[in-house]
Amino acid sequence: MQSWFIHVGEMFQRAFIKEDRWKLYLSGLGVTLKVAFFAAILGVILGTVAALMKLSVKKNGKPSVRSIIATIYIDIIRGTPSVVQLLIMWFIIMKNCRNGVLVAVLSFGINSGAYVAEIIRAGILAVDHGQTEAGRSLGLSQAQTMMYIVIPQAIKNVLPPIGNEFIVLLKETAIVGYVSLSDLTRVANQVSSRTYEAFMPLIGAAVIYFVIIKILSILLGRLERRLRKSDRR
Amino acid sequence: MKKSLVTLLAISMCAVLLAGCGAPKETASAPAADTTTDAAPAADTASDDSTTESTSGSAAISDGVLTVGTNAEFPPFEYVGDDGQPDGFDMALIKAIGEKMGVEVKIENMEFASLVSSIGNKIDVAIAGMTVTDERKEVVDFSDSYYDAVQFVIVPADSSIAAAEDLVGKTIGVQLGTTGDFLAQDIEGSTVSSYNKAVDAVNDLLNGRSDLVIVDKNPALVFAGMYPDDVVALDGAQFGFEVENYAIAMPKGDAELADAINNAIKELKADGTFDKLVAEYIEGSN
Repeated sequence: MQSWFIHVGEMFQRAFIKEDRWKLYLSGLGVTLKVAFFAAILGVILGTVAALMKLSVKKNGKPSVRSIIATIYIDIIRGTPSVVQLLIMWFIIMKNCRNGVLVAVLSFGINSGAYVAEIIRAGILAVDHGQTEAGRSLGLSQAQTMMYIVIPQAIKNVLPPIGNEFIVLLKETAIVGYVSLSDLTRVANQVSSRTYEAFMPLIGAAVIYFVIIKILSILLGRLERRLRKSDRR
Repeated sequence: MKKSLVTLLAISMCAVLLAGCGAPKETASAPAADTTTDAAPAADTASDDSTTESTSGSAAISDGVLTVGTNAEFPPFEYVGDDGQPDGFDMALIKAIGEKMGVEVKIENMEFASLVSSIGNKIDVAIAGMTVTDERKEVVDFSDSYYDAVQFVIVPADSSIAAAEDLVGKTIGVQLGTTGDFLAQDIEGSTVSSYNKAVDAVNDLLNGRSDLVIVDKNPALVFAGMYPDDVVALDGAQFGFEVENYAIAMPKGDAELADAINNAIKELKADGTFDKLVAEYIEGSN
């Protein structure tokens, strides 16, 4: 038993302490967070625009050109694996871009945008149609009703699934190692390629991911509670 | 009632999972205990083709199957052939070795960086143009070396890189976990971009994302041959890189297996098969 502890201690030493390897994990975590954060922002922007485009209808009730464009975007992105999208972005579309993080942010942002679009569309549709009718009959324009009546209520609806999407996005960035970015997962692989032990680096990376996501979900839970404060009075 | 049924189902599924993974381990560990008491020299009996008896000495091949790990991204030593199966010099060599040892060779194609840590659990041995290094020797044993090589530097055709001091502060593309990766990390001020496949590193060199790629001699010549107008492959000797020895990696302390493999390599060298394979795969590709 004691020797087992010593063995684990040695593995820990090799995986994290030796040659200041913990600095690698920190810089890897930095890349992971940077990519996830900016991709999330881009995803929300793209998603909101795509959701509003998809919801727009012509006067005769048929889908507008904007809505068709948004549908195609969502279909293509949801219909292809994100690894393939990342590789296409890296090796084909932006093949001369030397800023790897930028390529990853664009790739994940565009990917996330499609999912966010569907979440936001669902959130908007979940707001009772009577709200829109009330707004319109009070003399607000279509855009004003959307902006001041529907969207504020929709935000509360979409918060839980959006939080879920952020968590998925953060974990999905683990594939950027494919294109030589040194994110947290890649760093763990790099260390285990030096120590020839997979245990500590992988468990270490898993713990770090878990802690980050736990913090994220606590923050999201707080925000949710905050927005629900006025629900029951 | 329904709840307990679900629980039962979940437990039985876990049990199946555990049993499924546990079984091969058990069969592997049982003969391992035998080796200490009964040290039958596997090498002697290995050459006559009786698969059942010949390999009793080593735990790794007690079932008559030698599971070999490789990374088929390393031409001409290993690559995915036209039929979708790993092919190349190493593959032909290990199959010839398996024939001499009287075992069936099963190839597992995996990532290079995970080869060494997979020996003894997922694979029995690894042959992947792997250089003998002290770091690796701490974890696995190596067979006798079967090929000498040196790291090469691939640079764009118009690059001015020509000597060791030119490498300082450059962005270097490598394949993860290879000796080129280790060399690059030791170069002062370098930024190392590690890829799962060496050819991806070459692609990004062509895209202008890195300044050079460090990879073993023979793959470097193959890659440079694919883009003769855009890149050149430079001999690592002019950068002070040392000659490296390729060998087969195997579990630590399995002397019977080591003897069997080393004897097989010796026999193949003696009967001319080895030179034939070199001529067919390596010299034919340059």
